[in-house]
Amino acid sequence: MSDTLLEVENLRTVFHTDKETIHAVDGVSFDVQRGETVGLVGESGSGKSVTARSVLGLVEEPGVIEEGSIEFCGDELVGGNWDEHRGDIAIVFQDPMNSLNPVYTVGNQIKEALRIHQGLRGQAATDAAIELLEDVGIPDAARRVSEYPHQFSGGMRQRAVIAIALACDPDLLVCDEPTTALDVTIQAQILELLDELQREEDLGVLFITHDMGVIEETTDRVNVMYAGEFVESAPVEELFDDPKHPYTKGLLASIPGRTAGGDRLPTIEGEVPTSTSEPTECRFAPRCPHAFDACDEVHPERIAVGDPDADHETACLLYDDEFEESPPEDGVVADGGETA
Amino acid sequence: MSVNGSRVADAFTDGRTALWALVGLFLFLLEAGAVLNFVVSLTIDGLLAIPGVDAVGFLTAVENAVREIPTLLSRETIPNQGYFDGSGYEGTFLGLSPAMAWAFRATLVYLYAFAAFGWGVWGYRIYRREYRAADWTPRDDVFDRFRGHKWGIFGLVIVFMFVTMAVFAPALGPTTVDQNMRNSYGHEIDYWDSDSGSVETILVGDANLDSLSQGNDQNVEPWTYDDYGRFHPFGTMQDGSDLFTFLVVGSRISLVIGVLSVALSASIAATLALTSAYYKGRVDLSMVLVSDAVMAMPQLLLLIMLTTVLRESWINEVYSGGFLLALIFAFTGWTYMWRSIRGPALQISEREWIDAARSFGQRPTTIMRKHMLPYVTGYLLIYGSMTLGGAIISIAGLSYLGLGVAPPTPEWGRAVNLGQDYVRTGSWHISLIPGILITLVVTGFNALGDGIRDAIDPQSDSAGGETAGAGGGA
Amino acid sequence: MAIPVIWLGTSMTWYIIFMGPIDPATRLLSEGQVRNPAAYEAAQTQLGLNQPPLQHYVDWLSSLIVFDLGRTWLLYQGSSVNALIMDFLPRTLWLGFWSVLIAIFIGVPLGFYAGMRSNTVADYVASMGGIVWRAMPNFWLGIMLLAVLGSSQAIFGFSWEAIGPNLTSGISGNPDLSYMAGNPIAFFTNPNATLQAIKKVAPAAIVLGSASMGNEMRIGRTAVLEVKNQDYVELAKVKGVSDRALVYKHILRNALVPLVPIITSEAFLLIGGSVLVESVFGINGIGYLFFQAAIQGDLPLVGTLMYVFILMIVGINLIQDVLYTLIDPRVGLEGE
Ligand code: SF4
Repeated sequence: MSDTLLEVENLRTVFHTDKETIHAVDGVSFDVQRGETVGLVGESGSGKSVTARSVLGLVEEPGVIEEGSIEFCGDELVGGNWDEHRGDIAIVFQDPMNSLNPVYTVGNQIKEALRIHQGLRGQAATDAAIELLEDVGIPDAARRVSEYPHQFSGGMRQRAVIAIALACDPDLLVCDEPTTALDVTIQAQILELLDELQREEDLGVLFITHDMGVIEETTDRVNVMYAGEFVESAPVEELFDDPKHPYTKGLLASIPGRTAGGDRLPTIEGEVPTSTSEPTECRFAPRCPHAFDACDEVHPERIAVGDPDADHETACLLYDDEFEESPPEDGVVADGGETA
Repeated sequence: MSVNGSRVADAFTDGRTALWALVGLFLFLLEAGAVLNFVVSLTIDGLLAIPGVDAVGFLTAVENAVREIPTLLSRETIPNQGYFDGSGYEGTFLGLSPAMAWAFRATLVYLYAFAAFGWGVWGYRIYRREYRAADWTPRDDVFDRFRGHKWGIFGLVIVFMFVTMAVFAPALGPTTVDQNMRNSYGHEIDYWDSDSGSVETILVGDANLDSLSQGNDQNVEPWTYDDYGRFHPFGTMQDGSDLFTFLVVGSRISLVIGVLSVALSASIAATLALTSAYYKGRVDLSMVLVSDAVMAMPQLLLLIMLTTVLRESWINEVYSGGFLLALIFAFTGWTYMWRSIRGPALQISEREWIDAARSFGQRPTTIMRKHMLPYVTGYLLIYGSMTLGGAIISIAGLSYLGLGVAPPTPEWGRAVNLGQDYVRTGSWHISLIPGILITLVVTGFNALGDGIRDAIDPQSDSAGGETAGAGGGA
Repeated sequence: MAIPVIWLGTSMTWYIIFMGPIDPATRLLSEGQVRNPAAYEAAQTQLGLNQPPLQHYVDWLSSLIVFDLGRTWLLYQGSSVNALIMDFLPRTLWLGFWSVLIAIFIGVPLGFYAGMRSNTVADYVASMGGIVWRAMPNFWLGIMLLAVLGSSQAIFGFSWEAIGPNLTSGISGNPDLSYMAGNPIAFFTNPNATLQAIKKVAPAAIVLGSASMGNEMRIGRTAVLEVKNQDYVELAKVKGVSDRALVYKHILRNALVPLVPIITSEAFLLIGGSVLVESVFGINGIGYLFFQAAIQGDLPLVGTLMYVFILMIVGINLIQDVLYTLIDPRVGLEGE
């Protein structure tokens, strides 16, 4: 079996509303290997959650996957073939409050997955559920298994959700901002747990977050997403050492502790635009501190940059030889142009 | 609109505003008589209500004088009651057939009403663009959202047409209540007798006797003439009077009672909700208790009980018992509204500015009025609109049972009752039409309530929760 | 909370009836008797109105508590109120039971259906129908339904009377429940009589339930729409739960939660509406009895019946709380 679990090619997911068509995901490509953690990072509205939902086949009216392919272990999923791989791809949502059905016990919901994917029933299922709860670090699992979600704390609920995901015996785990809704201390515990489980089960993980700090800790490869497109992809060290795209630089600069000297955090002004049409310009141009004339007229293609061995790509005209302007010298954007 | 003096002066030098004012004046002059008439007759009704007041003679004189003012949309200007004299119509507008003359007048009335409405919106736009200090207020968003709410607009149109019907009731009917029902033996009409080939005169009461709708062999269907050349858009009733006139006038009492009762219960509910939200604790608890107790008595039964008990008291004389009905409605209905706004009121009372106001010694009533009330008025509007539909159904239900609005005064529910025996005969229209009208109006009020809610609070789910609207409980 | 509510509601009733502008004693007597001081005196004494108000209040209340409801004055003159209620109540309960049931079994599935297929033609038709259906006044709907059923031969080509069980005494009127007297099992053992009684009451039940049906539809639809987009439904889908199980286990069960208070609060409407519906359909139920008592001026009976209604409504509220805890584990019994 090949080591590539997931291969996404030129994925386009659009939403048709009364007035316009929103290109939420506009031609992204990436893959996830077994045992690898791939990060998707971007602000809210950048299309990262829609990417996750597309991979899981959860896009519903008025949204539709318009183009591209999603292959899981070599099988094409687009076109409604998710059912055959249900359970192979599991998900952990952002808000553990909403991802557990409030009217059933936690055990019931784990057992449901166990029944479907491992054929366990009755006492065997209960035992397995308790074991899973123990695996994800829930104390007193034997009692907890028959409790309802509202009796769990936030962090415990997220652990329970992870237990459900594990019960499916997945190959790929999609984590959609799994720690955002949690307290900082609990965030760390959950991240640790995920990391541990990934190593034990040799899972592929698609990790979605807006938090660069989390990305640095957890992922192997990073895709930076902006307005439905990947503006930069690189292995995590390469990206943090040598960011190329001005947006990536902005994101990195806004991590606390990274900006040298300044006591204010630089933030990127403005917000992610909604893409409603084919791009003829760089979508980041209105916010970009380095934008030059060509940026309003040419849509940047992804080009290889940085360390030739690192598989580092970015979509910025600064690195395109056809255009005049040259890239800024220093790695960190600190020219104050975008500080508040 | 509180525009001060100098700004008013400015306003008229500006062309658009002047044009707006001129159009307004023109619209008013067309109907000045009717407006005054409406006001005066309401005052008289009101005064008659107060026992021992006998100053009505003077007011009646005023009323008569007001009647003399020519108005465009009156039955005098566009008469539809005439007769066929063998070669053409006499006495109708431009010699049109009575049906056409009536339809013409009704169309004009509605055109006028919509024009007046449009004028109001236009005025608001001018104000918003040119006179208001702020470029934008949150209320603008509310209006814009409502404009995009098709269902709400539909409700507004229905409600507006209903209100127009009530306001222009005397001008809309092909005949009047006085001539056709109350005092039918005091009026005469001319008609064309085709047997003798001449124009004859007959008492309206006698004519009615020949135009009964009581089944298959005796029936005046909707949109037909009776034997005396009178046109009946909705046919006649079982006693030969005109159904359309009955219903149009009936809409007035439904609307007045409905609005009055909802306004009363809204003010009771608002007062109590604010009080209980402000003081919380024991005050709140006791109000929960009282409202639960009132709610434990089904509203319709409570209505029946109270109307029975109060049937002989003097308030029952007021407005054919309508005023009493409104009072009873308010007394029994505030609980539902109170329930709905108590939550929001409690939330607001937790806000810091309330504590702040309290800390610098503001009086509780002022705090409630100035700092809390504005935040619940939106809810009052929503529930008000939805309760109105329910009130209209209940009023109709009571008069169907023979309670509530006293008999000579037309009321929709009574029409349903009167026609009940003939539903399976050719005279099905007597019951059917008022029922359809009630359904339409109630749907309209519910839709309007939905629209207002979505406009005020776009986050609220579009159909849910406790704001389920007025059901046909009665 | 239940006890104080009953007490307060009953006290208000007492105040309205006995302290109101009408002297109940006069209303009970005919013109001639009013002028006869002896008869008037007798009526006053019978009602206990010659006592001081407080004493009367206490007496009245305590006799209600022990269900010593006395005798009627005008309506079915002199019969025991207890017996009267026992005679009339079952018909209302029968009517109410079926109207709740019909409303639930038509309204909820329709609403769920519309919610599952939101923004399709079927959804629009169902939603619109529900809205209009809800806005129709019961009494009018009843009249129309009777007319349509009465002429069903001409309209639909078959006769309502001919399908199903035979109705001996017309399409409306009292359902015959006597076969169950003292033997509720007969509901099952005598299906023919049961069906007859159901058919007799069905049109009235549909009308009485119309408003509830519309409400339940609407709430059901919203609930499904809301639940459908919850993360836990998507999580279940990702888990590989089949579409069927997804709908039945994860969506519908949760969508039921907001319906509970609706269904029970409809009971208020039902009890109020029963007056009108029973009048239209000629059913001698307790609502009709109340209406007759009010019309004819038997005020003491009105008060007693109001007490019965209050008890019923408070009872329904208690049932609602129990239902809630059954459906939604988040609500513990300890909460009030
Ligand atoms: S293409 Fe131009 S606007 Fe876009 S990121 Fe690069 S420099 Fe900025």
